[in-house]
Amino acid sequence: MVGDNPFHNISHLSQDRARARGNATKQPECAADLVMLSLENGANGFMFSVSDTTLSILREIREREAIEHLSLYAIVPYAYEYVRVATQVGGVTGLIAKVAKEITMSRSAGTIAMGLGAVIRSNPLSLMKTYLSYEISRVKSSAGKKANLISLMLHEVVTDMALALDLDWLFRSYIDFTLRRGLTPGFNTGNFTYFVDKFKTWNLDLDKIAIAAPFNKIGFQMIPSKIACEKTLDSLLQPIVIAISILAAGYLKPTEAIGYIAALPNIKGVAIGVSRESHARETFRLFHKELNG
Amino acid sequence: MRVAIVGLGKMGLLHASILNVLPNVQLAAMCEKSSVTRRLWKKVFREIQIVDNLEKLSDLDLDAVYVTTPIPSHFFIAKTLYTRHLTHNLFVEKTLASNYDEAKELCGLTRRFGGANMVGYLRRFTVTFRKAKDLLSEDYAGDATGFTGYAYSSDFYGMNRGSKTLVSRGGVLRDLGCHVIDLAIWFFGDLKVDSANVESVADGCSGDVWHFAVRKPGGLKGDFKASWCMNGYRMPEIALQISCSKGIIEVSDDVVKLQLNNGQLSTWHRHDLNDTSFFWLGGPEYFREDDYFIKSVRENLHAEPDFDMASKVDRLIDEVQFKVDKISD
Repeated sequence: MVGDNPFHNISHLSQDRARARGNATKQPECAADLVMLSLENGANGFMFSVSDTTLSILREIREREAIEHLSLYAIVPYAYEYVRVATQVGGVTGLIAKVAKEITMSRSAGTIAMGLGAVIRSNPLSLMKTYLSYEISRVKSSAGKKANLISLMLHEVVTDMALALDLDWLFRSYIDFTLRRGLTPGFNTGNFTYFVDKFKTWNLDLDKIAIAAPFNKIGFQMIPSKIACEKTLDSLLQPIVIAISILAAGYLKPTEAIGYIAALPNIKGVAIGVSRESHARETFRLFHKELNG
Repeated sequence: MRVAIVGLGKMGLLHASILNVLPNVQLAAMCEKSSVTRRLWKKVFREIQIVDNLEKLSDLDLDAVYVTTPIPSHFFIAKTLYTRHLTHNLFVEKTLASNYDEAKELCGLTRRFGGANMVGYLRRFTVTFRKAKDLLSEDYAGDATGFTGYAYSSDFYGMNRGSKTLVSRGGVLRDLGCHVIDLAIWFFGDLKVDSANVESVADGCSGDVWHFAVRKPGGLKGDFKASWCMNGYRMPEIALQISCSKGIIEVSDDVVKLQLNNGQLSTWHRHDLNDTSFFWLGGPEYFREDDYFIKSVRENLHAEPDFDMASKVDRLIDEVQFKVDKISD
């Protein structure tokens, strides 16, 4: 899968690197070029945080009539933007008010009605469902009817906060909601081992979900340790994991990273961000060859 | 150990989450002024008591309290917690107070009541800044002779209106600049402000770029810049470049470089510095910070940066503002 970090100008190696890259990859046309080139070289999916930038990229790919060739994995919420808005509008209360306004402006009558009821009752589950419906509708209206939205993935900040606070009811409700919408419930987590342990404790079915978590040769961001994450991965009954950070934020070259990833069990897919045409071509060609034989 | 959080904004939720993961810590209560927020979180945190004022924490037998409200309220809340004996172990998010007078009064309370006290200067728990501290302490680069430091973010880049938020956050020096000031004080000790000014940014912004020069008795001089209106700083970034007798140390949130005068260059990314923790939320430094404070309370150890150390940041910011006000007059 193509990851979207470069399209948001993110580098977890250093912000200097992201600044040096400039804004070119943020332009929907350039980003769509990179996704298309990745497709030609073996990618078959796009994992992205739902934001104005990525929705523009989806629209661009749709206009090029290539959207149906992509499996879409949408991560919500785009935490960075929401934290930024909370900073600007004065905290969580201001943020909720702003999101409520955006939902109202979306003109989706069902979502608005659901949201109004949720606000009146201060019901967190209804609020969550309203918000998720709103994000799904944004993706679908940008990607179009031919789009193949596979999974709605909960952003790692939300997943890991809910894990830490033992909100098992929230996970149950989220899984139920996404399955009813015909989507695979997805979770992006920075605490893979903790996540799997909690799901087992709560008797939640791991086989129905997808987990995006860091896996790389040097153990970067593999919490609490590389060994613990590998052991947990090995304990799964099915390939449900999408490996992210496989290049350890650009610290590893694809040729250095591939051997480790190819040898891991229960990996359903990998997501890799690319910021240049040569990257897209070489990286996906290499990974397609090595992972698919 | 029973802990309460005062203030359920994003920092309050982050600390609450990490505390709930720590072994033998019970999140006993949360205190939040906003009725809307309280009503919502009551339905989310079903096992945790959510109260609307500090007095309601009095019967809860708390071992420690985290204060994560906006900066202007830190003083009143911390003072109430001490004087009403609600707890004597206190973690306050940065900055300690809105000004040095308030900070001094809180330091007095810690001496009167004892307990562990700490201010949330997170960068002290970031592996790159720890590495830079080690390089300085272990004399790899020789004596520091001068430095430049900045604290930049794009939080308000492109916004061209005044915002109540900017005031409630205490301005860019308290909200963001305090981190680089704290690091400089941690690295070099007490500093005095020589000069300060504020530049307006070209494309308009609710805030500005603060620039100030400092010195240390004995000769070390330093320059700071702070702004939350910079283009290209998607995440807040703190960085220092330190000139030393044997070379130069450059350190940011992501990387440390040591360039020796003989041409030898060493570089350490987070990847090279064992940047791990038991739980990951917002970065491993948040976990390390909370784990360290809780351990200090549990084992009756001195926590750093304590209120005394943190008050030096408040003093320096007051000095900067005084110099700028004097120029404006």
